[in-house]
Amino acid sequence: MHSNRKNSAHFFINAATVAAELSVVLTEAKNISLEAMNAKALVARAGDNVRTFKPITDFMVELANDTIWLVKEINREALVLSRTSLAELHSSDAHNRFKRAQQKASLAPYGDTIDTIAAEASNTHHQQAMQLRRHMRKLFELLDEIESRMLAANVVTATSRLEAATAADSYQASLEGIVIKLEKAANRIKHIASKCRRSLER
Amino acid sequence: MMKVVKLHESRSHEWLVFGRDEERPSKIIDTNQYMIKTTNHAIMLDPGGIELFSAMLAAVVHHVPINQITHLFASHQDPDIISSLGLWDKTLPHAELYAPWLWEGFLRHFGCNSIRYNPLPDEGKSIRLDEVELQFIPAHYMHSSGNFSVYDPQAKILMSGDIGAALLPDNAPLFVEDFDAHVDKMRLFHQRWMPSNRAKKDWVRRVRQLEIEYLAPQHGAIFKGRDVQRFLDWLDELEVGTGVSAR
Ligand SMILES: [Fe+2]
Ligand SMILES: [Fe+2]
Repeated sequence: MHSNRKNSAHFFINAATVAAELSVVLTEAKNISLEAMNAKALVARAGDNVRTFKPITDFMVELANDTIWLVKEINREALVLSRTSLAELHSSDAHNRFKRAQQKASLAPYGDTIDTIAAEASNTHHQQAMQLRRHMRKLFELLDEIESRMLAANVVTATSRLEAATAADSYQASLEGIVIKLEKAANRIKHIASKCRRSLER
Repeated sequence: MMKVVKLHESRSHEWLVFGRDEERPSKIIDTNQYMIKTTNHAIMLDPGGIELFSAMLAAVVHHVPINQITHLFASHQDPDIISSLGLWDKTLPHAELYAPWLWEGFLRHFGCNSIRYNPLPDEGKSIRLDEVELQFIPAHYMHSSGNFSVYDPQAKILMSGDIGAALLPDNAPLFVEDFDAHVDKMRLFHQRWMPSNRAKKDWVRRVRQLEIEYLAPQHGAIFKGRDVQRFLDWLDELEVGTGVSAR
């Protein structure tokens, strides 16, 4: 109970911070999308020389789109979470103040006229706490998803490296350049996602 | 526990003062809250800050059931007056709040979703609770720019909000006992919190026309009988607005 209170007191700040951090991820995801377009153009130009690279560029486009969508989802969810945790904090405060009044008025002739409202405050708090847990779960799920996307990106960069190595000399450098940029973007996204996770778990 | 004193009792109504809460956190200013209880209604005048809410609610139900409290009044917008509004809003969703029109958009920041806000016009207004008439007397710039006192002509009580306030040690008596000694406890408050000599003169002029047995401020001690006139004379002479040095 105590650690829960402490959590929610910082939580609305952390959740808002997460939303801010994610704007960086969005930029990176847009970089992936841009590189995917470059790769597509290259593949089209090179034709059969880099045929095996085609599915990889398709995957990059998909990855970029998914990531952008996920980041927007996470961002929205993080803001909802920030608002929910603040509401939870308020409802918990109200609940405690009504409870204290009830205790103090235990001998008052009309003390029992507080009971309904105190029960309502307790109920509201309970519901807010449940909402908070639900939104928290949802946000962690989304972070899981983005992290697993980035793991997939790692697999793809490894394959693309091999493919780039076997491509015709004139395309090798460009393809490697694309792979490196993809890898960098994926790693930064992974890093930020796990940072967000840590700040939410605090 | 919060202390409660009955200021007036008649067939039609009662005046109660709540204050001197022993459990009040030491860094918040001590306040007096008032409640007028009529046959079927009750109004709380300057119900207090959020830190006091639990103690106030507990004290109030010693005297009335919650659903009898149908009205609230806030003399002005200060946190010590009404930052508890958000919680009263949950407690008394059907109540009405009388407060200066000037502060409506501001007071709503405390949370006023269910309670109805009745904006008081600058010139003041009278209301009736059962057989009791209450007059909201303009007290603008004393100290707040939108501000009212409450006058009960039957009980001859003027609830004066921050006017007449004194900064007293904990557990000081609830009534002024030695006026001359009391002056030292309220001089700074009036000089520094009250901004306008013109507004002060205007309020004193209005209030001199009323018959007052008790002048009841939101901080400090209540003036009784002859001390009411002494206070008005003292305030009339006092130079206020001293935060701006005369260079
Ligand atoms: Fe004030
Ligand atoms: Fe005050």
